Amino acid sequence: MNVGTETLAGHTVVIPAGRVDFNSASEFQAQLERAVGGARAPAAVIVDCAALEYVSSAGLRAFLLAARAAQRAGIAFVLCALQPAVREVFDLSGFSRIISVYPDRAAALTHVAQGPP
Amino acid sequence: MREQRTAVPGEAAQLPQLTAFLQQFCSSAALPAAQVLTFEVALEEIFMNVVMHGTAAGTQRRVEVSLALTDEGLTMTVEDDGPGFDPLSLPPPDVRASLAERPVGGLGVFLVRQMMDAVSYARVAGRNQLRMTKHLA
Repeated sequence: MNVGTETLAGHTVVIPAGRVDFNSASEFQAQLERAVGGARAPAAVIVDCAALEYVSSAGLRAFLLAARAAQRAGIAFVLCALQPAVREVFDLSGFSRIISVYPDRAAALTHVAQGPP
Repeated sequence: MREQRTAVPGEAAQLPQLTAFLQQFCSSAALPAAQVLTFEVALEEIFMNVVMHGTAAGTQRRVEVSLALTDEGLTMTVEDDGPGFDPLSLPPPDVRASLAERPVGGLGVFLVRQMMDAVSYARVAGRNQLRMTKHLA
């Protein structure tokens, strides 16, 4: 797994690529937490999952803990561009009900630009 | 019927090797990629469950994984020589809980149940045996 980050219109975009499984989940979680709780807190964190090929329950846990930290900090935390297999894991686990998921980065940006729901 | 079997020590570092075994089997059987990913998740969840739970200090389990492709679909069986434990007895997580209330654990076995068409547990000759079948469209 590789994780890139970009800054876009004051928001942090986290871009995981590859597999978030048991062995890479803690590293991924640390990256998400850095994005949420960095010295200069962003208005929102967008996780662009276009290159995320695989996620297991260990990966879901990382998303859950980061989303919770963002909620406590008052930062929007949204996902976009999930591949079908990853989307299935989010849907089956009920996570797509507690974390907002958008079809692509533009839709996610539009949402976070409107401020908290 | 096509069948293949492998065995590894019950430690997290073995997960990539097990995944590669599964991928190789599925690719030689020309299974669709989406189905393969479903089995990869199920394999990780069940294997890590064995690794994380119920192993006494200083002991290590041996985990055997077998794959069988039949007219019915693909069946994956995970066996280990640890103390008897039926993961299917775990209560399902509350998938309707809010973000703040959602428990962090307990999702793995739940996911496996949702993804597979049939899941069963048996204690056979002192070993835990978890069998998962998914029909292939």
